[in-house]
Amino acid sequence: MKGSSLFYWLRFSALFMLGYTIWVLSFILINQPVEYNSWVSFTNQILFQFSTTFAAFFVLVHTFIGLWTVGTDYFTPRTLGFLHPSLAKYADLIRRGYTFLFVTLGALIVITTLFIIWS
Amino acid sequence: MSTNHNKIRPVYRPVYINLMQIRLPVSALISITHRLSGIYNFFITLPLALFLLYFSTKSYNDFILIQDTLSNPNIISTFVTFSFLVYAYHILTGIRHLLQDIHIGESLSASRMSAYSVLIVWFSLFFLLMTRLYL
Repeated sequence: MKGSSLFYWLRFSALFMLGYTIWVLSFILINQPVEYNSWVSFTNQILFQFSTTFAAFFVLVHTFIGLWTVGTDYFTPRTLGFLHPSLAKYADLIRRGYTFLFVTLGALIVITTLFIIWS
Repeated sequence: MSTNHNKIRPVYRPVYINLMQIRLPVSALISITHRLSGIYNFFITLPLALFLLYFSTKSYNDFILIQDTLSNPNIISTFVTFSFLVYAYHILTGIRHLLQDIHIGESLSASRMSAYSVLIVWFSLFFLLMTRLYL
């Protein structure tokens, strides 16, 4: 993928999640103290279900780009070698394991979100 | 023309980088903590928010249990408040980075000022929420 695509996906997903957060937060702040019935009808509306589905997808995109950047910056032979020189030659393996971990967790989180929202 | 790659590299070139030896200016501190808060958000705040969403919509009794737990000072409400404060921190520093993307506050003095502003807003939010919880 092109670097500029990654740049725009990261920013666009950030803006979507920012708007989503402001929307949910303003509902909670306006309806203080939040009653069970109004909270359930808020989360059961079709707009909440769709926007949360999109938010879950954008969280996955945003997290993948962010954590991938962190991994390629810090899980390298040069930085891990500082901790212990023998770690340097395992850097690629460690970074692949780390990538696998957060991709799996991200997929799990999206599946869980969809299950909570649509069930 | 290109003789660059024929040059012998100096032997004292650092092989491994000691990140702790780098002195961080305030804007760099904001940048690295933006990353750290992002990692925290993904691994802790996000699963926590899903947990809260699931149980708060599950049944009336679960909703009341969550509302009671979160509105009283205890270890769980402190942890939840702190986790959402970390999310707020990621948003505040993120907005600062987004503004710099569209060339607002790019100069050295402006970026220092916005970095301190973000810290001041966040610590105010921190004390506001914690005093609301404990007082």
